[in-house]
Amino acid sequence: MSLLEGLLGPEEPEVGCEDCFAELDRYVELELAGADPDAELPGLRAHLAGCLACREEHQSLRDLVAGDDR
Amino acid sequence: MSAGLAVRLPGVDPVMDPESRAWVAALAGDGGDRDAALERLHALLLRAARFELGRRRGQLASLSASERSDLAVQAADDALMAVLARLADFRGLSRFTTWAYKFALLEAATKARRMAWRDRELPRPPEDWLAVAATDGHPEAAAEHAELLAAVKAAVAEVLTPHQREVLLTVVAGQVPLDVLAERRGTTRGALYKTIHDARRKLRAHLAGTGLLTGEEVSR
Repeated sequence: MSLLEGLLGPEEPEVGCEDCFAELDRYVELELAGADPDAELPGLRAHLAGCLACREEHQSLRDLVAGDDR
Repeated sequence: MSAGLAVRLPGVDPVMDPESRAWVAALAGDGGDRDAALERLHALLLRAARFELGRRRGQLASLSASERSDLAVQAADDALMAVLARLADFRGLSRFTTWAYKFALLEAATKARRMAWRDRELPRPPEDWLAVAATDGHPEAAAEHAELLAAVKAAVAEVLTPHQREVLLTVVAGQVPLDVLAERRGTTRGALYKTIHDARRKLRAHLAGTGLLTGEEVSR
């Protein structure tokens, strides 16, 4: 993420950290199932773009669950 | 661990898969089945915590193997308490194990970030970080977006409140993790992110008014 991206954040509407955490498990399973998580959970991807902490935890959950499913 | 902790019974959800339903039933029950489920759940959470700490080995280089192991156990313990306290929130829209994992990952990531910053002062003053970051951190982006960056820097100084400016610059330019700043300020990650979100909206609105900002200019 560039400095400008960090300062200005995502352009799209986004959820907050609490809502992101509440839906993160569902989002990851939809992603791994090849579904469209952004249609089901609008605003979450934009939050992941803007929030490094939630983005790191999303990546970890996705990788952990994907490893279980292999 | 958590024996004796009151657990709220979740509502029955028709979409819940059988394995998740079995987890919830065992954890919401009592006796030997619950004890066994607690033990299995703790093991699951410990595995997730170790997974997260393993990804952050570089951040935790100052810790011994024993200290890292203890940190994983602390994260799993705290995650277990969180899972039990929030069990009624589980709606069965994902597998129970996926839902539970996220608590362990959050606990482990938060503890690791804080551990990595435990002996460090937060850098000051924020305005200096912006100057450093603009020239040293992202030189290519700074060169490409010099005009916009200059306008953003001016807007940061002009339109943000002191609190918004401090939080935004501390996290974005200073690269201080939200969890670390939240701990030092006695607040939450969510509250700080709300401050950042509001600051970004204000900056975008100001820059849009000057005609300088479109989405392409930010992400190009």
